[in-house]
Amino acid sequence: MTGTTSDRVYCPVCVARFRFEDGWQEGAFVACPICGQRLRLVRSPEGWSGERVDKGTEQEIRSRVEEFARIRGYRFNDMKEEIIEGLLGKLKRFGDFYCPCRMQHVPEFQCPCRPTRGGDIERNGRCYCGFFWKGD
Amino acid sequence: MAEKVKVYALSTCPYCKRTKRFLEEQKIAHECVDVDLLDDESQDKALDEIQRLTGRQSFPVVVVGDTVIVGHDEEKLRTALKL
Repeated sequence: MTGTTSDRVYCPVCVARFRFEDGWQEGAFVACPICGQRLRLVRSPEGWSGERVDKGTEQEIRSRVEEFARIRGYRFNDMKEEIIEGLLGKLKRFGDFYCPCRMQHVPEFQCPCRPTRGGDIERNGRCYCGFFWKGD
Repeated sequence: MAEKVKVYALSTCPYCKRTKRFLEEQKIAHECVDVDLLDDESQDKALDEIQRLTGRQSFPVVVVGDTVIVGHDEEKLRTALKL
């Protein structure tokens, strides 16, 4: 099944809907343009959504954060691997990739967290954790 | 007698790990609480205490006597610990 650009795709990571692009079809692999999550497109009576590719694996979070940084033009620094280790700790203890520097285990703080998706880095030069940094 | 040192941390926070490592390397006796691993009641108490001490919920928090240091800051730790 194919869709149209007036359709939206639900991303289960950032809990938002992004625009369906021309040429996409059911089963295609796409990246969420908001959080960078790799998704497999699925059509249901409620509309289009994405299934998380490699859900709950190190590969999933590495792919997501790399894609998010690529889309936004952000960079990492020498804290990168320690923060990824923290994210894997959150997965193990609290069930998903929540911000390792915060207490709250809610979708809003799924990495990249909502403040980061919403422009904190543009304002502060870095995200709360110092994981993503403004380019240059 | 040396001042009592207490650390409030998150088990997943890399900056908390750096603070813990620094205190261990400097052989500073300290009490460390991983707030995210506490049971609900103890966690609420710890968070209330952190809020009272710092006015926010940011980690790590190091308490050295009357001095409260938020975030991993070796310079402030050295000053507070007279290193």
